[in-house]
Amino acid sequence: MIDWNAWLPLFVVGTSLVAAIGIFLLQEHRHTLRTTFNLGAALLKLALLVWMAVGVLDEVRHETRFQLVEGVSFILRADALGIMFAGLSSVLWLFTTIYAIGYLENAPNRSRFFAFFSLCVASTVGIALAGNLFTFFLFYELLTLSTYPLVVHRGTEKALRAGRVYLAYTLGGGAVLLLGVAGLHALAGDVEFAAGAGLRALDPALHPLLSVIFVLLIMGLGVKAALLPLHGWLPTAMVAPAPVSALLHAVAVVKAGAFGIVRVVYDVFGIEFAWRLGLLEPLVWLACATILYGSIRALAQSDLKRRLAFSTISQVSYIVLGIALFGPVGTVGGLVHLLHQGLMKITLFFCAGNYAETLGVHRIDELDGAGRRMPATSVAFTIGAFGMIGLPPLAGFVTKWYLGIGAIDAGMTWVVAVLIASSLLNAAYFLPILHRIWFRPQRAAWPDEHFRDCRDTHPWLLLPTLATASFSVAAGLFAGMPFSPLYWAEVVVLREYLP
Amino acid sequence: MNAAIDAFGLVLAPALPLAMLIAWCVPGFRGRIACWLPYAAVPALLLALGGETGAVARLDGFLFGAVLALDELNRVFLAFTALLWLGAGWHARGYLVGDPHADGFRLLWFATMSGNFGLILAQDVASFYAAFALMTFAAYGLVIHSRTAEAIRAGRIYLIMAILGEGLILSGLLFAAIGVGTPLTVLMSELPGAIAVSSRRDLIIACLFAGFGIKAGLPLLHLWLPLAHPVAPVPASAVLSGAMIKAGLLGWLTTLPLGLVSLPGWSLTVMLTGFIGAFGAALIGVNQRTPKTVLAYSSVSQMGLMTVGVGAALQVPEAWPVLASAIALYALHHGLAKGALFLGVGIAGHAGGRLSGPQAPWLWFALALPGLSLAGPMISGMAAKTSLKAAFEAGLQLPGWWAQLPLLMGLAAIGTTALIARHLWLLRAIEQRDAATRSEWLGWGFTLAASSLGLVLLPWLPVPTPWPDALRALPDLIWPVLAGGLLAVLAHRYLKVWPIPSGDVLIPIEGLIRRFRIGWRKTVRGMHQRLQPIRTRLSAWLRMPDSAREHGSPLEHAGRRDTGLVFAVLLVLMLIALVFG
Repeated sequence: MIDWNAWLPLFVVGTSLVAAIGIFLLQEHRHTLRTTFNLGAALLKLALLVWMAVGVLDEVRHETRFQLVEGVSFILRADALGIMFAGLSSVLWLFTTIYAIGYLENAPNRSRFFAFFSLCVASTVGIALAGNLFTFFLFYELLTLSTYPLVVHRGTEKALRAGRVYLAYTLGGGAVLLLGVAGLHALAGDVEFAAGAGLRALDPALHPLLSVIFVLLIMGLGVKAALLPLHGWLPTAMVAPAPVSALLHAVAVVKAGAFGIVRVVYDVFGIEFAWRLGLLEPLVWLACATILYGSIRALAQSDLKRRLAFSTISQVSYIVLGIALFGPVGTVGGLVHLLHQGLMKITLFFCAGNYAETLGVHRIDELDGAGRRMPATSVAFTIGAFGMIGLPPLAGFVTKWYLGIGAIDAGMTWVVAVLIASSLLNAAYFLPILHRIWFRPQRAAWPDEHFRDCRDTHPWLLLPTLATASFSVAAGLFAGMPFSPLYWAEVVVLREYLP
Repeated sequence: MNAAIDAFGLVLAPALPLAMLIAWCVPGFRGRIACWLPYAAVPALLLALGGETGAVARLDGFLFGAVLALDELNRVFLAFTALLWLGAGWHARGYLVGDPHADGFRLLWFATMSGNFGLILAQDVASFYAAFALMTFAAYGLVIHSRTAEAIRAGRIYLIMAILGEGLILSGLLFAAIGVGTPLTVLMSELPGAIAVSSRRDLIIACLFAGFGIKAGLPLLHLWLPLAHPVAPVPASAVLSGAMIKAGLLGWLTTLPLGLVSLPGWSLTVMLTGFIGAFGAALIGVNQRTPKTVLAYSSVSQMGLMTVGVGAALQVPEAWPVLASAIALYALHHGLAKGALFLGVGIAGHAGGRLSGPQAPWLWFALALPGLSLAGPMISGMAAKTSLKAAFEAGLQLPGWWAQLPLLMGLAAIGTTALIARHLWLLRAIEQRDAATRSEWLGWGFTLAASSLGLVLLPWLPVPTPWPDALRALPDLIWPVLAGGLLAVLAHRYLKVWPIPSGDVLIPIEGLIRRFRIGWRKTVRGMHQRLQPIRTRLSAWLRMPDSAREHGSPLEHAGRRDTGLVFAVLLVLMLIALVFG
């Protein structure tokens, strides 16, 4: 009799890995087979995850574990936090795949694209379910390597340059992370993710060294999470095709960084221990600086995707901020933003892609009157933008309210000022776009119009956009219902961090 | 059973406009929706007229658990707001005929209306804030409806100030909520108590006073108001100046710790701010050149008087119950009168020859009536003013200067009269367009009737003074009107109009901002130039040799296949390790 519970985490990672291998081996022109493969794997993965999520709520233990060498284990484990991130990636992977199929219709090199795409999701889910620092690092590096071909997919000079910058940043970050992981391994052995049990027991004389390791880990993860001095790759990488940008910004890369920081703070060091070492307050400062910096830079951008990229830098730091605030409410705010930012930002990038593919519009000042030509996409964009500003009843408000209460609870009232300032800045860079879309007349013919016979745009592009937009409305509107992102974040906090 | 109907009504009042907005998306319904536009306000009106005070509807799954309820205070607000949206809706239906942007206007009309009703009924902080934001942002589209350069500028200023207000309100709410036992699911009714004992009391009051003050047009925070109210289409101006401006007032009434603690410092600040608004707006307003701008300044002036009432309650908590009903009554009275005045501008602009024909005296009387009522000596105005005065006099231990309050209010009424005179004078020369439709006349007539008879028709209104007292106070109310009228005639004869632009102090502020922006750009450009060499060196350092690349070549295919095989081998190895490890 096979113990299914022990195999399930591996299966979840394996579905996209097998899909990747299958697509790698497929001929370029096998369009239908590839699509079936892609969507089949995405749906299967989602089903497995739902099964696992139900198991986690019932406190069933799903764990795949084997020893590689003495003292180093490969562990995949489903805990509430991991399921949260894996769930986000699986849901959004499904929609992004649908979107990408529509987006890349008749483009060259689709096999390569979709194979690396699946590989990228396999690594993300691996990161989500990793049960110790070593497994986490393994998938974290795999993510770097599998996203590079996606960033440079177009093969243009600009894309290759962006790819180089991306690699330089992420491999550098990976090296620093490796240093931290190795250091921790030397001090405490194989570090499993379990509320910092191991480190607290260490000799106090080692505490300064532990602080150094913490800084190394945060630096390594901060590259992907686009924390302040390490954010340079993100705006450059937006030359990638829209579905890739959507995935990079909403799910895979930046979230992997932010999620890693959650793991390090909560599961490696433990929140109390990290607080006692005095490591969290600098992190709050860094997060706040990033929040404001990203928003201020976003103001000055004239390219739509670039503005969204700077907005990501700012928004992902909300997650880091929530984690670094010492208290359960702030934690809920940070964790729930992991999901909320994903839903809202993917909607915005889908919309940006829709404008680019349908009208040939890339710059913000070309968007005048787009609402009349593409009403459904523009409604989705409006929802995403208002959500980012943090207006109720959208998802962003839930985050902002929790972060605000959490900050005051933690005695850092100045953080409220940062949150408000960030909302104002968000309004300052999103509302002019909405004004152009809805209230300005169209200026000239669209630069490069397609799908003239569609009322809005191609259904493969429109449906995922509308789906994620309605999710981000529902996440806020029904925040009080069971199985909302807020509910799940509260489960995580209640179960894992509040004994 | 009744409770169920009331609960249904509580949800329907804000939901029906939204439902109509969504129904509009079905092309087949559009004609119908355009025709039914005014009636979206009917459930709210029925609720205000027939609902049980104390009715509650709970929607647990919505946001953090939404609660809608009807109490004595918000019932008054709901009543005049619904009356006004209904009247203005009738007017809008006629106004929109042949308008190129009519569809957008209707959608935003519904959204704004839903927000306005929602914020009046909402009892929990999250849905209150949601409705407030919906109203604020949807109203932007109403302000810039005409798309003229003037309207776009007004809209921009409106939006900037509104967002600042939202920020202030949110900070105030957050700081106040932390004092409640369950800060994540706070009810509005818990806020005043929490603020009264909070260690950050002054900060919270400052945030909320200024944040809601932007909507209520406090002096210096009013900058957007004389720009935005006049450029909006007539029906939108009516609801902006009559109903939406009161959202700020309602915000104060429900959140500030009124009736709980005596805060002499705040009381003085708020009352002074109120009087500055009342007199300052009157002085600036009489120098304006368009009727709607004069009316907008009159709104600032009237809101100033209501602010004085709020300030008084901060000094004398015992007087709060009397003051609350007086302020609510005054809000109702001003809302309907101002709505009728704004719709009157639309009627005057479309009246054709009637303004000088045989019926002219009647028409002029009808146009002036709500103005007279604002100044005091008409039925509803009388009740409102006497109750406000009575409330001031009912206080117990009062600061000495409060003895001058009736005189100050009399002076404010002179200002109101002068503003109305100026308004009517400008109305005489208003540009004439094609004749008004029947629907426009209906909307105006309805609002006019509601504003002059409202107090008689709404028997449950909390009128604190019995009628005989009010009649005895009549001379007190009439002298300012006579004085104001006399002043207006004399001023017209002997004084020149000061060229104060609408938006007054906004103009120098805009200049300062412009200069700051130019300076900022220069600084940033300078920094960029200085950083350029470093950047070039860095990017040269990062550059790696170009690798060979060709699309669709056999090489590319082979590369893909090999990658796939590598991962397949890895997967197999892992499985083996797992099974045997």
